[in-house]
Amino acid sequence: MADFFTSNSGVIVSMVLAAILGLSVYLPLMAGQLSLASPGFYALGGYTAAVLSTRVFPHEGGQIAFGYIVLEMLAAGVLSGILAIIVGIPALRLRGIYLALATIAFVEVLRVLSLNLTITGGAIGIFKIPQPFNSQHQLPYLLFAVPMLAIAMLFVARLERCRIGRAFTAIREDELAADAMGIQPTYHKVLAFTMGAILAGTVGAVSAHVLNTWNARQGTFDASIAFLAFVLIGGSRTFLGPVFGGLVLTMLPEVLRAVGNIGGLPKPVTTFLKDGRFIIFGLLLVIGTIFFPQGLITPELVGRLRGRTPPTPPAPTADPLPAAVR
Amino acid sequence: MTEFVQRFVNGLSIGSVYAIFALGYTLVFSILGIINFAHGAIFTCGAYFTYMLTGATFGANGIFAKTHLPIVLPLAVATIVGAILAGLLGVLIERLAFRPLRRRNSDRLLALVSSLGVATLLVNFIQYLVGAENYSYKTRLTGDLPIAVNLGSEASPIPIRTIQILIFAVAGVILIALTFLINFTKFGKALRAVAEDATTASLLGISTDRFIWLTFFLSGFLGGLAGTLVGSSVSIAGPYFGIAFGLKGLAVIVLGGLGDIPGAVVGGLVLGLAEAFVPADQSAFKDAVAFALLFIVLLIRPQGLLGRVQVQKV
Amino acid sequence: MSAMTETPHETLLHAQGMTRRFGGLIAVNNVSFEVQRGEIFGLIGPNGAGKTTLFNLMTGLIAPSGGTLTYAGANVTGLRPHNIARRGIARTFQNIRLFPNLSALENVMIAQHVHTRSGVWQGVLGLPPSPQEERRTRQKATEMLTLCGLANRANEKATNFAYGDQRRLEIARALALEPQVLLLDEPAAGMNPNEKGTLSSFIRDIRDRFDLTVLLIEHHVPLVMGLCDRVAVLNFGELIALGDPATVQRDPAVIEAYLGDAQ
Repeated sequence: MADFFTSNSGVIVSMVLAAILGLSVYLPLMAGQLSLASPGFYALGGYTAAVLSTRVFPHEGGQIAFGYIVLEMLAAGVLSGILAIIVGIPALRLRGIYLALATIAFVEVLRVLSLNLTITGGAIGIFKIPQPFNSQHQLPYLLFAVPMLAIAMLFVARLERCRIGRAFTAIREDELAADAMGIQPTYHKVLAFTMGAILAGTVGAVSAHVLNTWNARQGTFDASIAFLAFVLIGGSRTFLGPVFGGLVLTMLPEVLRAVGNIGGLPKPVTTFLKDGRFIIFGLLLVIGTIFFPQGLITPELVGRLRGRTPPTPPAPTADPLPAAVR
Repeated sequence: MTEFVQRFVNGLSIGSVYAIFALGYTLVFSILGIINFAHGAIFTCGAYFTYMLTGATFGANGIFAKTHLPIVLPLAVATIVGAILAGLLGVLIERLAFRPLRRRNSDRLLALVSSLGVATLLVNFIQYLVGAENYSYKTRLTGDLPIAVNLGSEASPIPIRTIQILIFAVAGVILIALTFLINFTKFGKALRAVAEDATTASLLGISTDRFIWLTFFLSGFLGGLAGTLVGSSVSIAGPYFGIAFGLKGLAVIVLGGLGDIPGAVVGGLVLGLAEAFVPADQSAFKDAVAFALLFIVLLIRPQGLLGRVQVQKV
Repeated sequence: MSAMTETPHETLLHAQGMTRRFGGLIAVNNVSFEVQRGEIFGLIGPNGAGKTTLFNLMTGLIAPSGGTLTYAGANVTGLRPHNIARRGIARTFQNIRLFPNLSALENVMIAQHVHTRSGVWQGVLGLPPSPQEERRTRQKATEMLTLCGLANRANEKATNFAYGDQRRLEIARALALEPQVLLLDEPAAGMNPNEKGTLSSFIRDIRDRFDLTVLLIEHHVPLVMGLCDRVAVLNFGELIALGDPATVQRDPAVIEAYLGDAQ
């Protein structure tokens, strides 16, 4: 049994980290912002940790003290936050498609920069990133990942119920009406965006150690798609959605790969199972937008699972006019 | 001086490809108000279709490794057929991914997300089928014409590749044809009507669905054509080169103004020229030019160079 | 001689030369008027006369091409909507802009944003003033819902409400802003005669209870005439009449504006 966990430790840790990354996309989405910028901050966080641990902090024989990792996470968070504010203030005045495009552009610029600057190691990246744990497998990283996920989930859950969270939701529902009710849109959108960035950055910092190397392939377009899938398929209306999406969609390709390793299947099938994860993500996105626009984990589902019956729709009244909201 | 001319010509050439590509992008936006991210994937497919149609063999990876179609078409013909196939692919995508969203009156962002899904799906599917290798066409689109002509003199030669001239010419022809189509034909008028207000247009008896799929066909055709042109002029650098192009295409259409047809051409040429004039020692940053431009334009003038400000009805 | 005590007339809102152009079209053309504290001020005119555009200018949703707006002596021209709301001007919308997926209670609670100040950390960690503010917000919102007769459906999604109830919910939300000025954009649209009558007395009621000044865009002329202290008439973006209802009703320019269309 323990064998299963240790041999799959990489996947397990990735799953938990992915759940947090899902939340990093969920936060701006709470304020109605479809941001594809998380991978950029994730990459930045990873580079921060990689540079700090290979060049600044003392390390020996591939080992580095636990405490330095925490410092790196802090540094990553701060840097991500600052960059998010700088980029967010001008960018978040844009809406909808324009914002999505701006975030795509932002990630691409970061990617090209990281490919070409010496500090980031160019195309090769930074490798031999020291580890805080002396272990053959990755399970000890759960010491970081699980508390981070728990804290993030708690944070978002509480946020949704308080004044600022309500402001986010109002903006998402109708930015103009929220504005007219006294909520300043730009401030709150930047706030949500920054919170998501800090989360992504700190995950990046930990991931750099988990993966041992860090390069420009960490902050790519593919990553944008994956994170987006976590939220859009997992569920975009409740914080449980991206957590579910992150966990399941990271696990799914591994399960498929394991199935693909079962002997006796024709080659096209096994290749598909092993390498076709993005084909499946893409397909899920297409199907999801049509049939599950709110994702799989919806607030209604959560309510039902908790034993709350969904509110009954009103009986048709004599009012001939339809409910005309929007 | 020769370097300047060289760069200028290169800029125009790559700019022309950007323009052709962007025209397809902007056509769909002008009629449906959505960004079809799968355009980049269709671009890739066009290049691959053409490759297959010339009877060329695929490499060592992928399900169809080392196979080839039993057809051998001359490259010019294959280009056109490949573009047509790309157009049909566009129609298929519209039917399967976008039409259900339209029927459900979904938010436009969902269409963007869906198109991202289609793009990822297609590109990775190609990789699954034929691997990620680099391919080149066996023959040249310019046929028996010399590879390059000399615009300068014997002493200071300015070699211009004939394929670049061809691309520029093709772009010009397409622009003229499209402008004529959109502004001076009944078809174009109906297209503009649907773009302006689909509901009213359909009330007036215009078959909205038909115009939408026709637009997608046209858009896919242009995308596929651009793919083959790039494949001819450079090479097919694996399925992902369409994604990179797709991202740059976004920069182009935002630069020119979303939905603006001449804007797509202007944007394409501007980007091409901007990239061409990146100093040689910074060539690695060439790719960032598009996105930096995109970002700046979005911040300063989101409607682009030629677009008009959208007024939101409250 | 008995002296009649007159309530001092205080100009609360002063619009001067408000103008808005959209390209070649002039939607609002040099409109000036004053609104007195405590008034119920009506804004009428044929469709497309620019009434909602004027509201939008006054509440900061669009910027004026010219003119100024003064509120309680301060220049509020061109301020963003949230700043206008912060100063105590609340509004409803012609096309109803509720937050569709939020419950009625949540919709109304949003309006208390300007009266609370808990930030992220206070909210997430439950530190003061967040718990108190949450209580107060909820309480205030429930009060407004009760006032508008919607308290029993506080937890239902806004989009599930019937049209008339949605209008009432929007008013409840606007009231939760605790405004001094309330702008109502066609609050009676889609209501039957009974409901219109109730609405009329309701508006008077809240005006008295909350010391409000009310601006009202309305199409239903009898409602306006019975309810408003003064009425302004817009046509093609211009102010063509201003005065008490009876006078305005007889104004030939007004009659022509309304009937002229039917010709």
